[in-house]
Amino acid sequence: MKVREIAEKAELKILSMPDPEREVIGAYMGDLLSWVMGRAGESNVWITIMSNINVVAVASLADVSCVILSEGVELEEDVLNAAKEKGINILSTNLPSYETAIALSGMV
Amino acid sequence: MKELSLNILDITENSVKAGATLTEITLDESDKNLILTIKDDGCGMSEETVKSVTDPFYTTRTTRKVGLGLPFLKLAAEQTGGGIEITSVVAKDENSPHGTCVTATFNKEHLDFTPLGDITATVTTLVQGHPDTDFLFIHRKNGGEATLDTRELRQVLEDVPLDTYDVIKWIEEYLREQYSQIN
Repeated sequence: MKVREIAEKAELKILSMPDPEREVIGAYMGDLLSWVMGRAGESNVWITIMSNINVVAVASLADVSCVILSEGVELEEDVLNAAKEKGINILSTNLPSYETAIALSGMV
Repeated sequence: MKELSLNILDITENSVKAGATLTEITLDESDKNLILTIKDDGCGMSEETVKSVTDPFYTTRTTRKVGLGLPFLKLAAEQTGGGIEITSVVAKDENSPHGTCVTATFNKEHLDFTPLGDITATVTTLVQGHPDTDFLFIHRKNGGEATLDTRELRQVLEDVPLDTYDVIKWIEEYLREQYSQIN
């Protein structure tokens, strides 16, 4: 399934979507960035509550298909601009991380 | 990173890459705070570079476009209510002083404080990985301190390389022994 379709089906808010046709394979959840960096798989959806600039860097390194910010976490404008510039899809939801994962179940 | 000692390893590698002949790693620890200082006599950075090194999309690495050493250290410090400070002097000629100093302050009482972890292993790894450069390590804590100065070791050992198995083993035990006194 594509990032665009997941955003629609799971009713996620779109913060940055420079690559809507990116295919999603699997998911990873975590907030310790250095840990996620070595473990999130290519094309995974990455669910996190972290929202600083390093998130964009880790998403880029791990080559995830999109980041989903859970718990209604918001992005600072400079982070948002970096995401758009680096081609990183970022979505958000008010659901906690566990419920976000459940909502994606069967889609990824 | 789950341990600050891994951040320290990462940042110190930058100093070695900058051509430092001596890198000083200091940990000043009280009940409330931990102040980490990594000071080197390497090639230094311009004012402009200093401003950009905590941006993860700045890196000296040529293999990929993202560098997370200092951004992660900054995050680790800031999430405890602390922060980092970087000062640097670019090498103009051989005789003028130059190098970089990174200071990170942590509030140990904050729930998001990352534990220091196995700093002895970090220091031994550094010496083993870079036996030809010098390190001065000082950890002040509980009124005592644990130290290692590879310049002193080098004098005593003369031609024996610092990455010799027995030397590395000795360094490890020497530090662990000192920690058993101050912990």
